[in-house]
Amino acid sequence: MTTRRHLLAGGAAVAGLGVAAGAAVVATTGRGVAPAPVAEADAVALTTGTATVPFHGPRQAGIAEDPPAHAAFVAFTLPGGTDRRALARMMRLLTDDVARLTRGVPALGDTDATLAVLPARLTVTFGFGPGLYRAAGLKPPIADLPKFRIDRLESRWSGGDLLLQICADDPLTVAHTQRMLIKDTRPFAAVRWVQQGFRRSPGVQAPEHTQRNVLGQMDGTANPRGAEIDPAVWNPDGSTTLVVRRIRAEMETWDILAVADKENAVGRRLESGAPLSGTHERDEPDFAKLDDSGLPAMPDFSHVTRARVTDPKLKILRRPYNYDGAPNAAGHPDSGLIFASYQRSITEQYLPIQQRLAEKDLLNEWITPIGSAVFAVPPGCAEGGWIGEQVLG
Amino acid sequence: MRNTLIAVAALAVLGLTGCAKSDDTTTAAGGTPAPAPSATAAAGTLTIKDPWVKASAAGTMTAAFGTLVNDTGADITITGAESPASPLELHEMAMKDGKMVMQPKEGGFVIKSKGTHELSPGGDHLMLMKPKEAIEPGDEITFTLKLADGSTVPFSAIAKPFAGAEESYAPGEHGASGMPMGSMAP
Amino acid sequence: MRRVLVALAAVVAVLLPSSPAWAHAQLLSSAPAAGAALAASPAVVTLRFSEELNPSFITIVLSDAAQQRVPAGAPVVAAATATVAVDSPVENGAYTVAYRVVSKDGHTVQGSYAFTVGSVSSVAPTPVAVAVRESNGIPTGVLIGLGVVGAALIGLAAYFALTGRRRAPVE
Repeated sequence: MTTRRHLLAGGAAVAGLGVAAGAAVVATTGRGVAPAPVAEADAVALTTGTATVPFHGPRQAGIAEDPPAHAAFVAFTLPGGTDRRALARMMRLLTDDVARLTRGVPALGDTDATLAVLPARLTVTFGFGPGLYRAAGLKPPIADLPKFRIDRLESRWSGGDLLLQICADDPLTVAHTQRMLIKDTRPFAAVRWVQQGFRRSPGVQAPEHTQRNVLGQMDGTANPRGAEIDPAVWNPDGSTTLVVRRIRAEMETWDILAVADKENAVGRRLESGAPLSGTHERDEPDFAKLDDSGLPAMPDFSHVTRARVTDPKLKILRRPYNYDGAPNAAGHPDSGLIFASYQRSITEQYLPIQQRLAEKDLLNEWITPIGSAVFAVPPGCAEGGWIGEQVLG
Repeated sequence: MRNTLIAVAALAVLGLTGCAKSDDTTTAAGGTPAPAPSATAAAGTLTIKDPWVKASAAGTMTAAFGTLVNDTGADITITGAESPASPLELHEMAMKDGKMVMQPKEGGFVIKSKGTHELSPGGDHLMLMKPKEAIEPGDEITFTLKLADGSTVPFSAIAKPFAGAEESYAPGEHGASGMPMGSMAP
Repeated sequence: MRRVLVALAAVVAVLLPSSPAWAHAQLLSSAPAAGAALAASPAVVTLRFSEELNPSFITIVLSDAAQQRVPAGAPVVAAATATVAVDSPVENGAYTVAYRVVSKDGHTVQGSYAFTVGSVSSVAPTPVAVAVRESNGIPTGVLIGLGVVGAALIGLAAYFALTGRRRAPVE
């Protein structure tokens, strides 16, 4: 048995090498056929830093675009006594900063102006928590999520009156933007929590590739794409909603599973991302398909089976980032997912999915929600306007 | 691609002129957003780009900054400034007896033909001597520049929280002029 | 007795290095039993495993020879035993019980076996079909194979067993 298993493992390793060797061959061939001049190659690589995403428009940026590699989610708490006038002043100021920074232009009074010149697809997306609406004397359009059985929420990762989702393909750009915006928010609100996350870096794999999370799973295969995004995400006025959940990955117990255990938990092949009923990542899971023994090919309790949404209008747009903090003295990691999802309505779209998952999802054995926050995302603004003017103006 | 070009253009502007300075307003218009408190004056005369004012408590000195742009064929001299928010003085930083001090600018600010003149923390600035009310972050403050030929240039500036060079800010030490560098804190 | 223990240690030893999840649940027994030829329809199917099951994650499917699902109730789990009630008596024929369960440590175990009801001419003396996925416990073949492993290997394996066991993550 040992021998057989080792042989299998060896075979996998050989196959892996084969893939690597194949890739190497392709790369070599590519160079051999058309040796790219160094200068040209550099020029291609350097577009990452100067690329921009338009800030102004009827909808906020940082939602429908492919997520950049780095993100900081910064939540603030408004002090008591904050009124609508102060909120409007704050949003005018922050809008002005973001309109500049997203073009690679320093904010007014930017003391580190040299850090502003490489936006690297910088976007800053504003979310308003229930508390912001109450401070403005308005009825919040969103409400905190109910408590789920699986939650182990910590206040240091939960709640928030104002959220800035800062995304860019470069971590220094994110850091400088975060610093600048926190400085300008400070007179109005206190920092409540900051969650920093990452995805694959630009150029590492083709943009259409699905992201992997720290558990090694493909993450986002079922996301709405292209024309599917509009009906799922945007309200007619250009607003949407955001759920941010910090989900700890229980890496130590996950590590002891065999590949098949992991695949049963999620309902997809780890390597290809294909549903257990299919062969390719984008194959629609077939929940009616049975194996030879009569078992459903998609386990009833797998994550994909439980999370599945077929009505395009009820899908959510997941835009998650991985996090990986410092391990403890025993070497146990502090890793997981900053789950971020955009949807028209939290109650109509996100909540039913989360309720099903909280009720039954084998993956729950290895993931623990430790933070939770909800935000309304107001429409975008035109040049000269400011984010939130429809709400606070 | 277009976005990239814009970013490159923005870069080029910054690269040529350093921080927030530009002597090419046309290019700058492509690379710099026009925020709500933008500065517009009679076309073809004097404009101020990226104006802002440091937020401040009532009665506490503060300053306004920006880039003055003269796209006319003649030099322009600013002789004074007014604001409903506060009495104003035109200030400069100068070496005096081995110390950097802030003092009223003799003869006002001169902006060369087709040139720019930077008003910045640590440099020339419009000093708000005694704001009547607190200038809160995000407020818009209106100003009027008075030119030597008798014409005026109105603009408005957004108020920003700003801590640069403020570490030893001591309102009690402020006089109209001759303050040591450590306490000028525009 | 001591020898038996050494031999058992050897079994564990050989399995350990390749099977980090050595605490897999296994199907110990069932009613109907694998390969059973029943005179009449069973009212329930009961599966007894070597480990406590996670009651939230369990699938038991009873299928007929045409691979059609036979209506049965939701599984009832008590510790290591899972039971489903067959809704109504089944006709004579060959049947397959398939299960997919998760042990408390999160390992998925699945497999299947056949039995018959009544005299079924069409069904050959069915060998017990044990279909297992990779993560299933210890295939019987392994245990048989172990019988022919030499004493030297056993000793060596025992050594690895002890070191391997100490390293095995148990959280």
